[in-house]
Amino acid sequence: MENIFDREDSENDGDLNVSVSSSCEVGVHSTEVEIENQESQSSEQGRDIRRDSEEGSPVPSESDCLDDQVSNHAPGAFEEIPTHAESETPDLSKDIKVESSHEQDIVLHKQFIPGKDKKKEIKSRKEIEEEEREKMQVLVSNFTEEQLDRYEMYRRSAFPKAAIKRLMQTITGCSVSQNVVIAMSGIAKVFVGEVVEEALDVMEAQGETGPLQPKHLREAVRRLRLRGGIPNCRAKRPLYSL
Amino acid sequence: MATLDDTFDQFDEEEAEIPLGATLSGRKRLFSKELRCMMFGFGDDQNPYTESVDLLEDLVIEFITEMTHKAMEIGRTGRVQVEDIVFLVRKDQRKYARVKDLLTMNEELKKARKAFDEVKYAGIGNISTSLMKILLLAI
Repeated sequence: MENIFDREDSENDGDLNVSVSSSCEVGVHSTEVEIENQESQSSEQGRDIRRDSEEGSPVPSESDCLDDQVSNHAPGAFEEIPTHAESETPDLSKDIKVESSHEQDIVLHKQFIPGKDKKKEIKSRKEIEEEEREKMQVLVSNFTEEQLDRYEMYRRSAFPKAAIKRLMQTITGCSVSQNVVIAMSGIAKVFVGEVVEEALDVMEAQGETGPLQPKHLREAVRRLRLRGGIPNCRAKRPLYSL
Repeated sequence: MATLDDTFDQFDEEEAEIPLGATLSGRKRLFSKELRCMMFGFGDDQNPYTESVDLLEDLVIEFITEMTHKAMEIGRTGRVQVEDIVFLVRKDQRKYARVKDLLTMNEELKKARKAFDEVKYAGIGNISTSLMKILLLAI
């Protein structure tokens, strides 16, 4: 099963750019995030802050050092709020490798730029993934209470697999495998996200606030259908008619 | 006339769809709780309107139905397989990336679970596998 993805990988990595991180960012669509200051200061400092607060000892700021990352960084990302320690550690170079933990978060696909920086290592996928994870940690550590709530809901909500399986088996009439159910629930969640985000845009454009109303959702669905984001049932509209 | 026939066709489709839609919305709500959490997570108010949740549930069920029907038509007809779903979302970047991540993560978790089971630490192994299951559920 993995082969269907591996082939795609080798051919065009450039096409499969990050789209998951964007959906993470728009998860806090309606709330303000004031992390620009922190982000403009090097994110490496934020990396350091997190390590300091978690390991409890100053980390030597050497480049090319293999730091052992505590394995529960990933699930703890939205549970811990480390203190903002004023650290005067110098800039960490970008070549710090961090041991990846078992629980992989979001896998990003790298853009291969051949021939660039032979001296500096070509950034492997894992390095980019690690950097993204660090940035996410910095971001999440600066969330307000409400933003944390929303982020937790965003990550944790999912469709019940049993119901999806039952629904699909009713439609197909034959049994579906577990992978299919997993894939379908994931896609359905992305679909909900697209509709809700579009509806929020519609509501904002109309200058209204408050909970989403069905009219916003319907307008969002209409726009998505035009863009082709929603499969529609064999719409028999005459292409060419005199 | 061609246009009249076409409108009749659309009418037929809609009529065929409407009874199905009526029974769907008359049925018990499948995803009310989860959809509420999901809408909040994606940016809506903490208490979304019930009508919005209902509408979204109908949309989701229609979406899943459409995808399933299309998947049954391609590849092996009459069955839905993972490759069919991957093929169907290949144009949509977000969904494709999401499916890819989910399936690769699932494979990794299965491998890790197997590795744990081989190690004969019964107690520790079970706790870790249940932790991993929680992670997988949280997708």
